[in-house]
Amino acid sequence: MPKEVLRMDGITKIYGNGFVANKNITFWLYEGEILGLVGENGAGKTTLMKVLFGHETPQSGEVFLDGQPVKILNTLDAISKGIGMVHQHFMLIPSLTVAENVVLGVEPMKNGLFDFKKAVAMTQEVADKYDFNIDPMAKIQDLSVGQMQKVEIMKVLIKGAKIIIMDEPTAVLTPQETDELFEQLMLLKQHGHSIIFISHKLEEVKRICARITVLRHGYCLGSYDLKDMDESDISRLMVGRDVVLKIDKEDPKPGKPVVHIKNLVKINAAGKRVLDDVSIDIHEGEVVGIAGVEGNGQGDLSDVLSGMGVYSSGVVEVNGTDIKGRTVRQIRDLGLAYIPEDRMEYGCAGDMSIRDNIIADRYFRKEYRKGFFLNQKHIDEIVDRYIQEFEIACDDKSQPVRMLSGGNIQKVVVAREFTSGSNFILANQPTRGIDVGAAEMIRKTIVKKSREEGTATLLISADLNEVLECSDRLLVMRKGRVVAAFPKANQVSEELLGEYMLGIKTMTQEEMEGLL
Amino acid sequence: MNRTRRVETMVELLRIVVAIAIAYAVALVTLFAVSEEPLYIIQQFILGPVSSVRRIGSIVNLAIPFTFTGLCFCFMYAVNKFNLSGEGIFMFAGCISTYVAINLGEGLPAPLMILVLLVVGALVGVVITMIPAWLDIKFNANIVVVSLMLNSMLVFLSTYVLRYKMRDASISSLGSLPLPDNASIPTIFGAFRIQAGLFFAVIAVALVAVLFFKTVFGYKMRVVGSNPLFAKASGINMAGTIVCAQLIGGALAGIGGTTEILANYDRYKWIASTQHGFDGLMVAVLARRNPLLVPVAALLLAYIRIGADVVNSKGDIPIDFITVIQGIIILMVAADEFMGRFKKKLIYKAAQENLAHEKKEEVVAPATEGKEE
Repeated sequence: MPKEVLRMDGITKIYGNGFVANKNITFWLYEGEILGLVGENGAGKTTLMKVLFGHETPQSGEVFLDGQPVKILNTLDAISKGIGMVHQHFMLIPSLTVAENVVLGVEPMKNGLFDFKKAVAMTQEVADKYDFNIDPMAKIQDLSVGQMQKVEIMKVLIKGAKIIIMDEPTAVLTPQETDELFEQLMLLKQHGHSIIFISHKLEEVKRICARITVLRHGYCLGSYDLKDMDESDISRLMVGRDVVLKIDKEDPKPGKPVVHIKNLVKINAAGKRVLDDVSIDIHEGEVVGIAGVEGNGQGDLSDVLSGMGVYSSGVVEVNGTDIKGRTVRQIRDLGLAYIPEDRMEYGCAGDMSIRDNIIADRYFRKEYRKGFFLNQKHIDEIVDRYIQEFEIACDDKSQPVRMLSGGNIQKVVVAREFTSGSNFILANQPTRGIDVGAAEMIRKTIVKKSREEGTATLLISADLNEVLECSDRLLVMRKGRVVAAFPKANQVSEELLGEYMLGIKTMTQEEMEGLL
Repeated sequence: MNRTRRVETMVELLRIVVAIAIAYAVALVTLFAVSEEPLYIIQQFILGPVSSVRRIGSIVNLAIPFTFTGLCFCFMYAVNKFNLSGEGIFMFAGCISTYVAINLGEGLPAPLMILVLLVVGALVGVVITMIPAWLDIKFNANIVVVSLMLNSMLVFLSTYVLRYKMRDASISSLGSLPLPDNASIPTIFGAFRIQAGLFFAVIAVALVAVLFFKTVFGYKMRVVGSNPLFAKASGINMAGTIVCAQLIGGALAGIGGTTEILANYDRYKWIASTQHGFDGLMVAVLARRNPLLVPVAALLLAYIRIGADVVNSKGDIPIDFITVIQGIIILMVAADEFMGRFKKKLIYKAAQENLAHEKKEEVVAPATEGKEE
């Protein structure tokens, strides 16, 4: 029987809005194992880890380290007890070097001043011991996403962490970078570290973990040996039913171009070409997917098309009209519907009701107003209808949006954008961080609208599975350029996509001819 | 989740009551220390304001300007702009209305005259608020700094107009020429001696509430105030909405200033800022930025102020003392997290009860599933 390094017993965590994220969860970790903590988005994985890392205080429950009951007061306390966390979103300072980032919190001092030489030496030592191939003198901003993650892991190791929490580490990685990460994790395991690997990508869990703990709706369903389970067993435990990742769709019948982008260039405030000569046409009745490591221009493209950001040169037309100098409202009038990447920032007003959120893009239209006044009756009718149609789980239409779950908030956003009557949908990460049911509904609706209503869709997503399944044509962006184009998304493998995303391969203009 | 909502509303109301209770308790304790006759004083403070019809009338009269400036700040809050020019506008509108009234003379019939002067007050408000609002939108000038500077300029501008344009040399103190009779807002309700400006205030509250909750403009304003980025992404005209809301707020402060002068004074004699604007800020905070609650908050503030006057005339306690009590109330109501722990506890309890119910159903399901493995 291996030694138990960690046990969390009967953890219940209730948030200030009444949401119960963890319901009496019991969970343990053996020395030198990689444990998969799996569950859907919103199942309570991250909350449980925040409790362990001292970020959140649970309402009840106990934590034991090496069999001793402990109280974890805050994150500093957690670190001093040998717990380290690699966050989903990197917490690095881009303008500083790797060494400076790694020693943050344990800075070596000499005569009261920061000892940079020592910091480099310390970083090199960790890098050598665990075989990280990384230059301590390099600046964070010059690193790739995969390398940044290594820096995050080194940060945790230098503080002496025995238990390492990895919160969805592969979400931002290409398949190749994932392979590299897994080798690293196996090495850490051999050195005696215990790792909690949070993920909802089942094949990865199956590859690297020997044991999993499954959470669902805040409950712990138990721990299972992976030897005698396959992916569909896990997914049934996670979701409670079989999940269909495939979307059945007939071939698209592209019509006339709805969006026409020609030689689009955007130079940002720092003088960097974040969009570099991008030319894309999106036609009626097709879904064009854009894959790419995040931060390679997808966000800027989305900003330009939605009217939220400016561009330097080039032509962007929506339904034949140039959008240069037009306001968001005018572009929406031309036929844009926009599902923004960050739903709480750009997609809704949390304190306002579902009703008020749904009419935000159309309150000015004739049927929604009576002179200076809102046409309450009509608004109530359509909002009630959308709540039913999009299966938004809520008390009623006057409930503030912030009280809903992530998936239901996103349903409010799509209920608005899918019904705006537009023929161009710009969907930027439409299913990020929401439960499988809601994600499935949104993906299916995107495809359905393109087939039945002839909507042109631009789907930007970091979820490779999503772009491969939903898109008809698939493009890859890297460093602000389109570097690959495929006529049929479902015939592309993730590995091949990864090679283009990382820049191992690049298509020439001729190869992409006719596909943009 | 429904229970969470109920808890939030309940705690919100409870919080105001507790805040007031604590403030009075603190007052009582302090009174025992500083006063010879603490019980008499506290009795006067609590019951004094409602002990005669005249005093009740005074509460209402004092609440009228508070309502106007409170409404003004509801608009500033609604679009998240801390435009404080309401303070200066109140005084300056009073000054300009007087100047116009004196120059118009007795010619017009009273209702028309009052209407004209109210419009003048509103216009003064619109023009003045335009300055910080425009500087903010156009040059991103800090609106708090600009409007505060503007307030001191308005104080001196008003004094200048008073001294050099309409001073009555025949009286010894500094004051304007007398207001013509047809410009005077009458007193109603007999013994209560309540000024007819009450009607204007009631109408203003009703109109503002409708504007906030029923009109297209009010909707835009709420979206912009609630989440500006979302408003932008939805295509709502941000700059226009933000500026318009402030202008309406300014107009209300202006009407407030005019009403105050026409109803309570026979001539203009303000030589220092009246503080009505900052009191309005307090009222808006107490009313949680909800125009329908503004009159309630205004009455509460007026009640405390009249109580202070009563105590001041009766006992051995200086009026400054009352300011402290007032401060405590505002502090506790404005502090979002006051009683936050209590609220959270109630929410946790409700959630745990819910959990106990749902547990039975949910735990059964996975258990049966486990057997299939």
